[in-house]
Amino acid sequence: MRAGSELLIDILTLALTHGLMAIAVWRLLWREDLGLDPEDLAAPRRPWLRKPANVEDEAA
Amino acid sequence: MLDLALLAFVAMFLAFGAKRPFIWVLAYIYIDCVAPQKIGWGLIQAIPLSLVAFVAAFGGWLLFDRKRGTRFTLRQAMIVVLLVYCAWTTTIADFPVNALAKWDWVWKALLFAIFLPLTLRTRLRFEAVTLIMVLALGTIVINGGVKTALGGGGYGTLALLVRENAGLYEGSILSTAAVATIPLALWLARHGTIFKPDWRVWTFVAGLIFASLLIPIGEAARTGLVCAAFLAVLMLRSAKRRFLYAGLGALALALAVPFLPQSYLARMNTIEDHSQDESASTRVAVWMWTLDYVKTHPFGGGFDAYRSNSFTYKMPKVTGSAGNEHVTYEIVTDKARAYHSSYFEMLGEQGWPGLIWWLVLQLLGVWQMEVIRWRFKRREEGTASWQWGLATALQQAQLVYLLGAAFVGIAYLPYMFMLVGMQCGLWSYVKRTTQEPAKATFMRPRAQIVSAAV
Repeated sequence: MRAGSELLIDILTLALTHGLMAIAVWRLLWREDLGLDPEDLAAPRRPWLRKPANVEDEAA
Repeated sequence: MLDLALLAFVAMFLAFGAKRPFIWVLAYIYIDCVAPQKIGWGLIQAIPLSLVAFVAAFGGWLLFDRKRGTRFTLRQAMIVVLLVYCAWTTTIADFPVNALAKWDWVWKALLFAIFLPLTLRTRLRFEAVTLIMVLALGTIVINGGVKTALGGGGYGTLALLVRENAGLYEGSILSTAAVATIPLALWLARHGTIFKPDWRVWTFVAGLIFASLLIPIGEAARTGLVCAAFLAVLMLRSAKRRFLYAGLGALALALAVPFLPQSYLARMNTIEDHSQDESASTRVAVWMWTLDYVKTHPFGGGFDAYRSNSFTYKMPKVTGSAGNEHVTYEIVTDKARAYHSSYFEMLGEQGWPGLIWWLVLQLLGVWQMEVIRWRFKRREEGTASWQWGLATALQQAQLVYLLGAAFVGIAYLPYMFMLVGMQCGLWSYVKRTTQEPAKATFMRPRAQIVSAAV
């Protein structure tokens, strides 16, 4: 293979995979579930401050 | 220009990490796999990228990341012990200067394998690490695959991105790593959320797998061929339509053979008859030498202990045409031949304790992934769950690695220790997020006993 062809393949390969990595990292920036799983995100932040359901019923 | 582009890419990685520190972990993985400082020529070579990324990754985790639920697993502790043991054997090494040079990168690989599981707390993080590992290795694999397809291959002549024949850029190592990565790429194609599964993702993964299978051809690496065949058998175990899968595989192989270069077929034939192949003959000689060596050095000779080996042997050489063959014996003397096997590498360098410890570390991973597979198969989601899929992919990758490791000295390969780190992370994650099935008991629960008494 000629050096020119090899250089072209090198550049195209780097552009393809690095482009995909850049898109992936960009998308990760905006994903809340990177730090917490969806089920953890849905859970209340301070569960100890929330009254259990049966206590609320008794109060009513 | 290429220098600036790579530097800008690394800078982007590091800048994004300021918003989400976990991205620094990904930056380290990318730098460790691709080694952009070796691809570039100028400024990028002067910057200690790997060190910068590791300090950022560790600092980011220490200062900003949540630690709740983080566990230190048994295998991480085993890697710590291995690290300390390797440090000790380095101090008593036969070749202190060479041993220090190898220790310089081994300790980083082991330390990162200990650190990585601590950061893997969410499903998305597992996916992100897998994706960056696949794309980083894909950079080298696709490059080699395209060049092979265009006729640029050959034993030791396939020009990859760098003019260096070491690490992931070495033929047999790259072949093993490329084949081991196929299950991870397939897992991403099925369970990905960063790039959701669609025709574009599947097209890319199909291309990547094709390129991965071209690497053993381009590099004329026999190890890669053996690994690919082994992976095909392993995948048969988890395939839904086994007969269809096996039939398609056999058809693809039958169609591919006529297009393989003669030089490649000739080299592959030496798998069966290795007596005339110097590379294979010396391997066996080195392995025998290692077994002798540990009789007097049971704790190994430290890194690069193979440098003291030297042996002379007769190698048959066949000349003449078919039917009129003439066999002559040449006396060959070899010195400082590398182990060409991770098992003998561990044995020669770390002795029996090191080899046994390393084997337990590896086999424990295979067993832990099997436990996760077993546990999730019995759940509602079954084999469709991402945990089952990832455990299967990591197990297949490790088994392929363990087979390839029999013929290549990759006992401390950072890429493979990242897989070990992922296994530790997955094991810890599954323990934290799922409840183990109740153990069998011969006693009735207390509530039932009380109600029965009433």
